Amino acid sequence: MDFGFNEQQREVQALARKILSEQVSAQSLAAYDEYAQPRFNAALWQQLAAAGLAGVALDECHGGMGFGFTELALLVEEVGRSIAPLPVISHGLAALALQRFAGRAIRDALLPAAAAGEILLGVALSEPLNEDPALPLAVKARPEGDDLVLQGVKTAVAFAAQADRILLAARHGDDVAVLLLNPRAPGVSLEALETTSFEPQYDMLLDGARVPAADIICTSDGAAMMDWLAQRVTAAICAHQLGAADCAMRMAAGYTSERKQFEVPVATFQAVGHRMADCYIDIECLRLTTYQAVSLLDSEQPALTEVQIAKIWAGDTGHRVSYASQHVHGGTGIDREYPLWRYCLWLRHNEMTLGCSAAQTAALGRRLAAGEALFT
Amino acid sequence: MNIQFTQEQLALRDELRAYFAQLMTPELRAECERDMGEGGGPLWREALRQMGRDGWIGVGWPESWGGRGLTPLEQFIFVEEVMRAGYPFPFLTTESVGPILAEHGNDWIRAELVPKILQGELLIAIGYSEPGAGTDLASLKTSAVRDGDDWVINGQKMWTSLAHFCDYTWLAVRTDPDAPKKHKGISMFLVPNSDPGWSCTPVHTLGGVRTNATYYDNIRVSADHLVGDLNGGWKLITGQLNRERLSLINFGPISQLFNQVTRWARETDLPAGGRVADQPWVQQNLGRCRALIECMKLIVYKQSWAMTVGALEMADASAAKVYGSEGFIEIYRMLGEVVGQAGLLRSGSGQGSAEAGKIERLYRTASIITFGGGANEIQRDIISAAGLWMPRASR
Repeated sequence: MDFGFNEQQREVQALARKILSEQVSAQSLAAYDEYAQPRFNAALWQQLAAAGLAGVALDECHGGMGFGFTELALLVEEVGRSIAPLPVISHGLAALALQRFAGRAIRDALLPAAAAGEILLGVALSEPLNEDPALPLAVKARPEGDDLVLQGVKTAVAFAAQADRILLAARHGDDVAVLLLNPRAPGVSLEALETTSFEPQYDMLLDGARVPAADIICTSDGAAMMDWLAQRVTAAICAHQLGAADCAMRMAAGYTSERKQFEVPVATFQAVGHRMADCYIDIECLRLTTYQAVSLLDSEQPALTEVQIAKIWAGDTGHRVSYASQHVHGGTGIDREYPLWRYCLWLRHNEMTLGCSAAQTAALGRRLAAGEALFT
Repeated sequence: MNIQFTQEQLALRDELRAYFAQLMTPELRAECERDMGEGGGPLWREALRQMGRDGWIGVGWPESWGGRGLTPLEQFIFVEEVMRAGYPFPFLTTESVGPILAEHGNDWIRAELVPKILQGELLIAIGYSEPGAGTDLASLKTSAVRDGDDWVINGQKMWTSLAHFCDYTWLAVRTDPDAPKKHKGISMFLVPNSDPGWSCTPVHTLGGVRTNATYYDNIRVSADHLVGDLNGGWKLITGQLNRERLSLINFGPISQLFNQVTRWARETDLPAGGRVADQPWVQQNLGRCRALIECMKLIVYKQSWAMTVGALEMADASAAKVYGSEGFIEIYRMLGEVVGQAGLLRSGSGQGSAEAGKIERLYRTASIITFGGGANEIQRDIISAAGLWMPRASR
């Protein structure tokens, strides 16, 4: 058991932190406030790709850095710390899924370009009122020759308009098919959503959209594949939450250490210090459960319980740290001239994405009632 | 980063689990139950000696201290399993004071006392608090005064748990009443409880657990009984407390209790149909407890790892203590809700299950560690200062 980072992991962290701290600031993020433009910094994405980070978890034979999911999660944590406008989670996990499940032709055609940042990959995991990525109900696929034709709707698809290919699952008879969709193909229309975090998300309406045989990953047994993907996306969201929550907490600790009332720093009031101590404990819990889930997933161990627990903490910690940080800042915390407010939006975004704490707790509770997930 | 046990560690856990399944005879279990999960009885003593003979007590101690030379993680696995088995393990002696003695004790202590700890022959109580010194420990008044080559000790301690069956008291005393800062005038002594000047009276607590007031009346000890530097006791106290904070948060028993309650809920039918575990609110409680206990496990594993690589952070030790102590209360409450009215029945009474009786008692005992081992308010002060660099009000 090792809670430390090895040299390559520290290098990925340091590289990401250097680029992001130099390139992302409250000022640069302001350009995307209130949907002034899609929240995607293409130039920064290219810079990350040039440094190799767009393919951090891809094998060297696919043009990647040759590291694994742990290194990708550490990159995502740094993106969370800076709340950079980057599609790291959707692109990174779509690429990782293709590397594992797609045939040679797709891998060779897409992965080197994905690692180089020449094409952008995405994932569509949600349908209206259906947050189980492995159980698509709204999108149906019917065969036409060797192709599949899609009907239905996926919702909250991040970076759909910016992406070149989107990985999604569709109901195929009684089974689940997984395929790659070109979001600019005929029969696909995107409706932009205005989300709380300003992330560019879209409702993706599919009306006879054709997926050529070459872009089909599987026509059956896709549920296991989507479970594999969803667990990793969930763990990555937890890592993003970890970075964002840690930054918000440290902002609040720093601010209260400087800000004086009654001629003393606000931090010296025990009630303030203790609220921040509770944030520290919450974040440590999020860190440990996230790293545990990441570690298990990286080595392809069963990790459903650990992922669910991490997401419970991501929701609870995000909510509590957001409100504690706002509160100890007083009015400054919600003033849009001060950088905290955007973090609060992202803490909420991550809390609610792919299963909130209550839904995850209920799912875990159901499994316990079925005799699963007990302590060994 | 690899947050999984190695094959060797898993094998060690299995070996220990089998070992304790044998060691915990029904007779020993009954004796421990009678002693309120505190230990001290003859069978309990013999079992401890057996663990000593089998080389388990210092499994993670360095060989130079007489241990088996594995790491603090293996030591933690051992403690987790012994507690999981339901044996009231004297962890204050073995996990908290013992290592301090092995590290800072003089030749006599290392030659005479430390080996006895590893043999399961020697038990130590902790004498810090006094009637007028609790959270503000440094204001303690019990004194040691030099007389020739000896020291003469006088005073009173409170909450000296386990003292009534321990061999020594690890005693914090004032040796320099004129020190400009009060925590700089404190030294640590090992005082034999067999001395005629030592006495104790019981204090009975809400949870049924006995603790003690202890009295020190002109106890004369040789200079060998001083541990560490004269007036250098504060560092040993804080070092011991950091270790104690970890030992207090042991997730072995609570993970076991969680499994038992979950099994009970799965196997128990409701008169109106369905099982206890089919109720959504029961599933919600179980899910929440599962997530809370998982963190307890990870927090202590991380700290055991941090001790292995010499990176134990003060803020993290305090975070473990706050999280664990408050988590226990939360978990006992939620598991108690699952067993329902039976959670009010004493063990063995009525038709209540064994788990329910256990929860009835545990719920009553759980507050002890939110203030014992350093009040959680002080721990939160430490976290915000040492973990977040926030300035702290002067006291």
